[in-house]
Amino acid sequence: MTLTQRIVLEHLDRVAEDVLSLTLRGAHGPLARWKPGAHIDLSLPNWLTRQYSLCGDPADREHYRIAVRHERLSRGGSDYIHRYLKAGRELDISLPRNNFPLVPAREYLFLAGGIGITAVVPMLRAAHERGTPARLVYVGRSTATMPFVEQLRSSYGDSVTIVDTEREQRPDLGLLSAGLGPSAVVYCCGPASMIAAAESVFDPGQLHTERFRPARRTFAPNTAFTAVCARSGREVQVPADESLLDALNHAGLPVPSGCREGVCGSCVLTVLEGEPEHRDEIGADRSQVAACVSRSRSPRLVLDL
Amino acid sequence: MVANKIIDHVDEYVRLFIAHAPFLAMATADAHGRADCSPRGDYPGFVKVLDEYTLAIPDRPGNKIADSFRNLAENDGVGLLFLIPGLRETLRVNGRGYATDEPEVLARMQTEASEPELAIVVEVAEAYFHCGRALVRSRLWDPASQALAQELPPAGEIAAAQLKVDINPELLGQSLEEAYRKLY
Ligand code: FES
Repeated sequence: MTLTQRIVLEHLDRVAEDVLSLTLRGAHGPLARWKPGAHIDLSLPNWLTRQYSLCGDPADREHYRIAVRHERLSRGGSDYIHRYLKAGRELDISLPRNNFPLVPAREYLFLAGGIGITAVVPMLRAAHERGTPARLVYVGRSTATMPFVEQLRSSYGDSVTIVDTEREQRPDLGLLSAGLGPSAVVYCCGPASMIAAAESVFDPGQLHTERFRPARRTFAPNTAFTAVCARSGREVQVPADESLLDALNHAGLPVPSGCREGVCGSCVLTVLEGEPEHRDEIGADRSQVAACVSRSRSPRLVLDL
Repeated sequence: MVANKIIDHVDEYVRLFIAHAPFLAMATADAHGRADCSPRGDYPGFVKVLDEYTLAIPDRPGNKIADSFRNLAENDGVGLLFLIPGLRETLRVNGRGYATDEPEVLARMQTEASEPELAIVVEVAEAYFHCGRALVRSRLWDPASQALAQELPPAGEIAAAQLKVDINPELLGQSLEEAYRKLY
């Protein structure tokens, strides 16, 4: 059911301290189309799957580009990529998914923290192509660790502000907010602290966020419920100590998954009836449920499955 | 035959091997030298190389790690044998082990939004590759060898017989399968 695309790792380039840019070429011709804000799941030889925002040019159908920071506390994804992946290697990736689409607006403010810049680069390009006023505030710890700084400065000049937190204050979001027109839309992609700061300043209606890792939150204790699969007519019991995703998979109903922590969207199912209890980070709406983390408030959850 | 060099640290090849190994056997002994060997497994690279002289192995449910912890508290000697499916050579690492709940170590072992509560840190004294003859003779990676598994009765039947309890072996087998579904 998951549609994968085979790619060849065309080249790996160091674009900043600890950051590699990976250029992926479709092994069998053009790759699937995508829009700014989209990401892919990359399946690694060590069985791990990781999500990366596409940061290349959507008009280039032959290639995708991603950038990966070598995380100090890597669990095995970025460490593997940095140490062991070599050009020429073939890998599987998912089709692009977009939980962070660029909505039309009259004015944009982009806030990027660290490697969060990857999702923002294509958005900024799209905004400029549309002729929409757009500002970027790009925050990182020292410019040496921040990819794309030169490229952004030379393409967009004064509309880009680079903030090096080793030498400068963090940007005053209140001030930035005050400078925005009433219909401006704000996109923020970065570490949890940056997203929290943005959430405390900007109106929820104007702010779009994307996290790399789920926020630490606490939920009401799990309760058991029944998943009713409308298409197959099957009923699957989901015990309190099992996820909806695992329960469905164990019942022989294959549901794809990637991150298994509510950030990638690969496991999202359509809800026909019942009230999902959302625990994901992708902003699933009433008619959707991220099977890996979310549960049900109603005793029965009817799924289009 | 090529002699394999014993080194006293994690070099790039030892690291490469560990990054691709989903399984290891771990030997410890108590203060009286009573020995114990137990299996551990997860995705390839589940054992983390913390630095050139240090590894960390996560505790996961079902590892019966308590025995290893008890032994290590009395006697810190530990021997590890790493396997990579399909590869005939194995990696051996010997050293000293202790338990840790260091958050930065556990954070690197998080899977599916849950972290192990403990890990074993191994200070490496010796690391070396062991030649593949045992694996060649044992035909361990030959798919045809998997037919051997059919010669044993189901695990539930063995457990019921050994426990000498009057319980339906099929039910026991089912509860075992049930437990295999919850790996983390
Ligand atoms: S698997 Fe990524 S959101 Fe569920």
